[in-house]
Order: sequence, then structure tokens, then C-alpha cells
Amino acid sequence: MNEQRRQILQMLAEGKITAEEAERLIDAVEREQPESPPGAAPRPKSRPKYLRVLVEDNSGDGQGRVNIRVPLQLLRAGVRLTSLIPPQALGKLNAELDKSGVPIDLTQLKPQHIEELVEQLDELTIDVNDAENKVQVFCE
Amino acid sequence: MIPQLVTVRYRRLDGRWLRLYLPVLPVLLVLSPLLVLALLAGLVACVVTGVSPVGALRGVGRLLCGLPGTRIEIEDGQTAVLVSVR
Repeated sequence: MNEQRRQILQMLAEGKITAEEAERLIDAVEREQPESPPGAAPRPKSRPKYLRVLVEDNSGDGQGRVNIRVPLQLLRAGVRLTSLIPPQALGKLNAELDKSGVPIDLTQLKPQHIEELVEQLDELTIDVNDAENKVQVFCE
Repeated sequence: MIPQLVTVRYRRLDGRWLRLYLPVLPVLLVLSPLLVLALLAGLVACVVTGVSPVGALRGVGRLLCGLPGTRIEIEDGQTAVLVSVR
């Protein structure tokens, strides 16, 4: 029983309103909020399945547009592939990154960290707007 | 589920669309001899580089199964390309 209904019945019990008024109020409340059947578990919010990237470029002569939709399952599969990179290749990659000024140690980056990152992508939303360009990244 | 159909649409400068529908399984059947060769070459490469062949196959399988639903649209002026995997 929701809170509003309980308050209406409370007022009826205290004699503040008549039975007819209580009935009208309950009808009005039910019209505003369709009630779920008693005992039904609340429906869980469905998890996003795709990562969308939308780019609109209105600069220059023509109009450019990029619309990419990638299943999150594909991202997870790609992330798991990184666990197959042999250690000697990781070492070489680290050396190259270091040379380019990017101090990231790939041997410390575990696949489960990247998987956790992909799991948290559900709530990612990036919106970049300026006069000529628009970039949106979100999950749906 | 592996992809069933890949659609490629390309809009030319004159505004006309070219469409290409690729049924994945028949194309794989036709290209199966080449795929077997590629698979063998991949397995040899895995052994040489020290990558687990089973893990690599599993990874590629997962990648293929994750492809359905992918959609890429790129428009630049008059030219447009759309690739859709179902």
C-alpha cells in the first residue's frame, strides 16, 4: 500500500473525510500512479547493451557525421583478448610508450581492471558541444 | 550468436546508394578453404609467439559473437558509408 493511500485511509479512520471523499481521493491517486500487483518485485532497470558514439561536424564546407554503435559484449571480448598478449610484447610496448612520454606500465594493467571499467561504462555520458562540433558518447 | 548478415551501404557523389548484402554463413562456406589455411597460419603464429592457441580461438570466437548489433555510419558531405552487422 503506498504512502498516499495510507494517509487517505488514516484521514478516513480519524473521521476527517467521508467514505465517498476517500474513495474519490484513492481513485485520483491510482489514476496518477498505476499500481503494480502486490508481491511483484520491482522491475530492475535493464542494463545498457550498446556504446554509442555520435559526432557531428559542421565546420568547413560540408557536414560530417559519425554514428557508431558497438555492443558492450564486443568491448568485453576485445578486452579479454588483451590477456593473450605475451609478456615480452608487453615489455616492448611499455618501452615504446615510455619513449613517447606516456608513463603507463601495461604489465600492471590486468584484464579484470579493464573489465571492471567496461562494466562501469553503463553510466558513462560525454557531451561536448561547441558552435561547430558536437560529440556524444553514451551507453544505451 | 555469430553474425548472420552484414550490410554495407555506400552513397556515391551523385547521390545514388550502392547496397551490398553479405550472408555470413554462405560466404564462410565458399571461403572455407582459405579460412582453413588462415587458421593453420594463425595456430603456427600462436605457437611461435607463445600465445595460447585455445585462448586465441576462444577470444576470436567471443569477438565474433559480440559483433551482431554493430552499426557504423559515416557521412562526409555527399559521401556516406554504412556498415551494419546483424
